Amino acid sequence: MEYNGGSVVAMIGKDCVAIASDLRLGQQSVGVAMNFDKVFPVNDKLYYGLPGLATDVYTLREQLRFRVNMYRMKEEREITPKTFTHLVSSTLYEKRFGPYFIEPVVAGLPSPTELDPHPKPFISTMDTIGCITTPKDFAVAGTASNKLFGVAEGLWEPDLEPEDLFETISQTLLNAVDRDALSGWGAIVHVITHDKVITRQLRARMD
Amino acid sequence: MECAFAITGKDFVLIASDMSAGRSIIQMKSNENKITPVGPNLAMACGGEPGDTSRFADYVDRNLRLYHIRNNFPLPPPSAASWVRRILAESIRSRSPYAVNVLLGGFDTTTSKPHLYWLDYLGTKADIPYAAQGVGMYVTLSTMDKWWYENIERREALDVLNKCVDEVKKRVTIKFDFNCVLIDKDGVHSLDLKSQDPIAELEAKVAAMKPSDPEPIIPSSDAPAIAAA
Amino acid sequence: MTLLAQSPMSLHDTYAAPVEHRFNPYSENGGTILAIAGADFSVIAGDTRQSEGYSIQTRYARKVFQLTDNAVLATNGFAADGKNFVRRLKQSLEWYQHNHHKQMGLKAIARLIQTMLYGRRFFPYYVYNILGGIEEDGSGAVYSFDPVGSYEREACRAAGAAQALVQPFLDNQIYFKNQQPEPGAEPFVPGRLPLSTVLGLVVDSFTSATERHIEVGDGIEIFIVMAKGRSPESLLDEKLGEGMTIEEVPPVGEGGEERTFLLSGPLKRD
Repeated sequence: MEYNGGSVVAMIGKDCVAIASDLRLGQQSVGVAMNFDKVFPVNDKLYYGLPGLATDVYTLREQLRFRVNMYRMKEEREITPKTFTHLVSSTLYEKRFGPYFIEPVVAGLPSPTELDPHPKPFISTMDTIGCITTPKDFAVAGTASNKLFGVAEGLWEPDLEPEDLFETISQTLLNAVDRDALSGWGAIVHVITHDKVITRQLRARMD
Repeated sequence: MECAFAITGKDFVLIASDMSAGRSIIQMKSNENKITPVGPNLAMACGGEPGDTSRFADYVDRNLRLYHIRNNFPLPPPSAASWVRRILAESIRSRSPYAVNVLLGGFDTTTSKPHLYWLDYLGTKADIPYAAQGVGMYVTLSTMDKWWYENIERREALDVLNKCVDEVKKRVTIKFDFNCVLIDKDGVHSLDLKSQDPIAELEAKVAAMKPSDPEPIIPSSDAPAIAAA
Repeated sequence: MTLLAQSPMSLHDTYAAPVEHRFNPYSENGGTILAIAGADFSVIAGDTRQSEGYSIQTRYARKVFQLTDNAVLATNGFAADGKNFVRRLKQSLEWYQHNHHKQMGLKAIARLIQTMLYGRRFFPYYVYNILGGIEEDGSGAVYSFDPVGSYEREACRAAGAAQALVQPFLDNQIYFKNQQPEPGAEPFVPGRLPLSTVLGLVVDSFTSATERHIEVGDGIEIFIVMAKGRSPESLLDEKLGEGMTIEEVPPVGEGGEERTFLLSGPLKRD
């Protein structure tokens, strides 16, 4: 985890979710790249972040892309955030005794169905072997996770509108990574709403 | 102990690597080429465990050549980088991993864009405008941070590269000699860093070669290795 | 021949190399402290839980102490060292009072703490100190120390178990890090927030830390030192949080015009 550094945070708002990450890729204390995105889309209602060992970020992303595409072709529908969480979890547990060094964070808006016409925004997080937690407020992971917990606990409040959620998650991420030597070097935020995804790169401290 | 770095510019990539080979404190060779062309517009500098580096370079070279022969089209740099990364990532969790760090530079002739990838033995990949590996990382990265700019021209990029070489000579206690290649739309060319104006020499060479001697579609397997400086 | 034969393996165990048992003079007792300076007041706070590993030793152990009429010290780390350090410091301050017939200024106390800590450079007090109070010029001040005496005057500081949780929050709310004023608005100046805002932030910091850190909780004690001429009405009128009580702390000496208040209450219990 501490080899490459990096952090991800996700938050629930009112009919929206947000997920954000820093952009640093390091080799221990040396910074290598400032364009290393750790948050990826599954579809326009579902994103996930993979902080941890960078080689596993790629491997797991490719593995998940493959499995989601297989799901899409077999089921002829989009995967729901909950199902995707279990897909990630079982992918991680497959490597129970030689794990991927990744703590994923999933954030998505489930589409309304007949059974559940008003689904709630969804976030979840896992440990390196796929043990799932589904918080009602926010999820954090990565080298700045303890700092993220502190700031998020102080700033987050229920039922934030998309713009307020954007401000909350951005301030949480920026102030947490500024106190972490292994995270930072830029940041990116995605706010997922029912009609669009707002993606913004943040201006951050570059030291 | 090795040292390699690379710079992308407007329509080219420069890769430089040291040429020392040895064990612990003994240097056995000072003109070992560590930059392998692995395609018509693609080259790779390998550092790490000495045996692994040449085996790995060979493995990559031959697989990319096979792709080229089968499809009559070379694998473009982004795809090549993804492939090399996958080999390294699979290798690290195998019984005999390659201990190899790679700088992969190439010119994508389909989009006319230069590409540079920083890869380590774990399978970490970074797509960056300038990169360094080995002991030189600690001095050359800051040099490139200071002097590199977007769409830098060849001569200016070579100046930056020479600044890096000088910095390594000044700050790193081990003595290194460097060789260098430039990759552009015309292919992989070796540059003589000691010459007065390597870019002019290169331009002259390309101009002289072009009309009569078109680039072979498939590079021959025993094309001369890049000349050691 | 049997006499020279090797003794059986089981016998060898009797002569196994001596195992070294070393006494570890230090322990870590959890908890968190924090201080924020205002223009004419200073707030110094700490939780009251004291723990060792996963065991709670007590739910009420004081970490914040009044030193003089205008200085309050919060101490965190190894509780025994903390207690002893405060005892010695108070003794020094009393000697000063007797010798000079006045109380030591905040700046001087800060330097005294450095000298005392550095005096034990090679067997340190395993304590992180935060000193808060009123400077001689009437401004609120916070000084933070490391265990061997490096110190600095700041607008705010958190230390202890939940430092990582609280400090970035204070960076944001007190130092306005990553925030910009609206175009044309007044620039942000740290250390000028009103007391009610500061108290809100202190309580929020501790509730957050309690929520996410097992070593923080049980109770909170907030000392408020007010400069001369500042009316405490604003504080006494304040609508206190649930279960919070406020009392005035009597002056240590003859009583100057600075006043110290103690705001205390329970921390969330779930």
